[in-house]
Amino acid sequence: MTTAAASWPWSLTVVAACIVLSLAAGTAHRVLPAAAAVMVPLGLSLLVLHGLFFPEGRTVLAAWGPARITAEGLDFAGQRTLQLAAVVMALLVFSFSVRVPDLVAALSARGVQGRFAFVLASTLTLLPAIAGRARSIRQAQESRGLVISRSLVSRAAAFRLQAIPLVLSLIEDAGTRAAALEARGLGNAGPRTSYRMVPDSTLQRAARSVLVLLALASVVVRVVLAGTGG
Amino acid sequence: MVTGGSGIPNSDGEAGNASAPVLAAGIRDFTFHEAPAPVLRDITVSCPPGSFTAILGASGSGKSTLGRLLSGWLPPGGHGTLAGFLELAGTRLEFDGGPGDPRIDPAQWGRHVGFVPQDPAAVLSTVRATVAEELAFGLENTGMDRAGMEAAVERTARLLGLGSLLGQDPARLSGGQLRRLAIGCAIIPGPPVLVMDEPFASLDAAGTNELASLVRELIRGGTAVVILSQAVDALLLEAGTWLVLADGRLAGGGPPAAMRPGSGLLPPAIRWPGGIQATRPSTAVTSSRPGQVPPAKPAALELRDVSFGYPDAPVSRFRRRRREPGCRAMVLADVHLAVHPGEIVAVTGPNGAGKSTLLRHFNGLLRPTSGTVLVRGSDIAGAPVGKTAASVGLLFQQPRDQLFERTVLREVGFGLDRLYGPALAVERAGAALQAVGLADAAREHPAELPASAQRLLALATVLARRPAVLALDEPTVALDGNGLALLDTAVRSAADSGAAVVLVTHDLGYARAAAHRILALDGGRLHPA
Repeated sequence: MTTAAASWPWSLTVVAACIVLSLAAGTAHRVLPAAAAVMVPLGLSLLVLHGLFFPEGRTVLAAWGPARITAEGLDFAGQRTLQLAAVVMALLVFSFSVRVPDLVAALSARGVQGRFAFVLASTLTLLPAIAGRARSIRQAQESRGLVISRSLVSRAAAFRLQAIPLVLSLIEDAGTRAAALEARGLGNAGPRTSYRMVPDSTLQRAARSVLVLLALASVVVRVVLAGTGG
Repeated sequence: MVTGGSGIPNSDGEAGNASAPVLAAGIRDFTFHEAPAPVLRDITVSCPPGSFTAILGASGSGKSTLGRLLSGWLPPGGHGTLAGFLELAGTRLEFDGGPGDPRIDPAQWGRHVGFVPQDPAAVLSTVRATVAEELAFGLENTGMDRAGMEAAVERTARLLGLGSLLGQDPARLSGGQLRRLAIGCAIIPGPPVLVMDEPFASLDAAGTNELASLVRELIRGGTAVVILSQAVDALLLEAGTWLVLADGRLAGGGPPAAMRPGSGLLPPAIRWPGGIQATRPSTAVTSSRPGQVPPAKPAALELRDVSFGYPDAPVSRFRRRRREPGCRAMVLADVHLAVHPGEIVAVTGPNGAGKSTLLRHFNGLLRPTSGTVLVRGSDIAGAPVGKTAASVGLLFQQPRDQLFERTVLREVGFGLDRLYGPALAVERAGAALQAVGLADAAREHPAELPASAQRLLALATVLARRPAVLALDEPTVALDGNGLALLDTAVRSAADSGAAVVLVTHDLGYARAAAHRILALDGGRLHPA
């Protein structure tokens, strides 16, 4: 939506809305640092690139040889940064707030194939699963005398000891898990149902329709504006 | 259930005939790919509806392979080749190990045969958030309507005593609770055949009774039940047929009455109820006999006022507001425990009582919410786990949580060179493997060992360090008679050489035979049993 509309206020509104949403969901303390980690380097590089070397810049604010800061360049860089920020924030708010079981249930309720829904859910549960396995390997090693202190060197050494057992155990685990999932009918072609009820209020449904309409509208507006402007 | 084979049978049609087996197998041989010799040879199994079959065998006899083969978890052609036949609901599939063999559809097979594997965690789908949803997973895949699923989940939970756990995350269940869940997942679709591999392992007394009455009820309802075990649990005495496996072959079979000990028909490695007396090595007459009070020395391990509660899982603010504020559930409450050098203490308690949680406090893997843990007189609060581990050896409940190396020898040797120097480390590792009877398996991969050998290997990794405190979590689970005798000897000799031993177990017979005193953990409190 924001990439289509390409306007400062819109991008800012979306970013603000994302922050409000993540605050309300209680995930802000995880979303905001993650967003900063992505956006700060990206935003700086955009500023340097477009701020200094924007070819269509007319209003020169300062110049050092071939590099010149132009108002248009800064404007463009700011706009792009905000657009990206909006997209990144929206994705992060989603991935930090989505409850995987709800997602899988919602997907299968809408007729998404069981295997596909499972793969999708697995990609989201994979990291916690790997972290859990790594934790149990670390506990086993610590229980046998591996001392892990807070220093970076000690942690790196510990990671080296854990990496191979981790990968091997994940592969082994996948083999047995596959047999269990097949036997429990994950691959069934027929229709499937869902035990979990995902609450889907009229408000949510309305919000989704409005958002889709807004996205379409912004594309139309952009195209029309480009048509009249050019 | 078959693609490329003969016609698809009507799921329940032929099964109604009481004399015809609902599940049968005739195995000439079954060989894993890249294995030099067959793991199973000359075995016939036949299970009519409502029959109860016990397949008994020592560790490494091929029980689990047979169970997975019967239940479609190990389809012929996938990981190994079968020569022989499998028969389900009146349809016989002939295999000769060639490319023209029929292929089994595990999902269709799974509708007829429910399976509880030896490692109950293998059943979990990993994408379901609660026990109730995990139970319903198989039903969802068959497209059952919601009301039907709710009724089935409710009924199964009641049968297995899972009622109070329906809303819990399956990943946070205790060992025994997980076993109940795995059994529930297998029986909930109502398969005509149920195959269970070591179902009694890590179940408490209540769980054992519930499972026994569940099996009786299923048999009355016409389900054919097959239990694979290396111990003769009380329930197995009610079986119609016993089949004895030894080295992958059928060594005998018949009604239980004909196969009592002394008949010579059962291998000595198969355990009898409370069978530690039967298998106890005669050489183990030592000072560490029950009833004898060890000499008074300062405690090797002491817990003072230890309380512990798991932090709540993170939840969003909306949900948090709905819950009552404050007190998280305490798993341990004001636990006092002092264990002296040479003393063996057994801790029992129902599934989920916090026994494993208690043991994890001994070396600092878990830190008490309040109270202190002293090892050899010093507080371990600030010490890293790796340091405390020099004095405390912990045997985990699941060997797979303990084993991570590529070979058995590397596994035992891990961390030893730092403790003793390279030369002595090799010697200690060898001695520890010798003590658990695994000296010949030094080059094998731990994950490929039978469950009993995995448990013993995990024990060897603990013994090799000669810790002052030995903490053993369910050490008898998955051990056959030979393994149990090795464990018993190892524990006694460790205690004789001055180690303080704490073992958590449901095996009361073993606890009484091995421990100086027995404590019960219930409701977070530790008291004499």
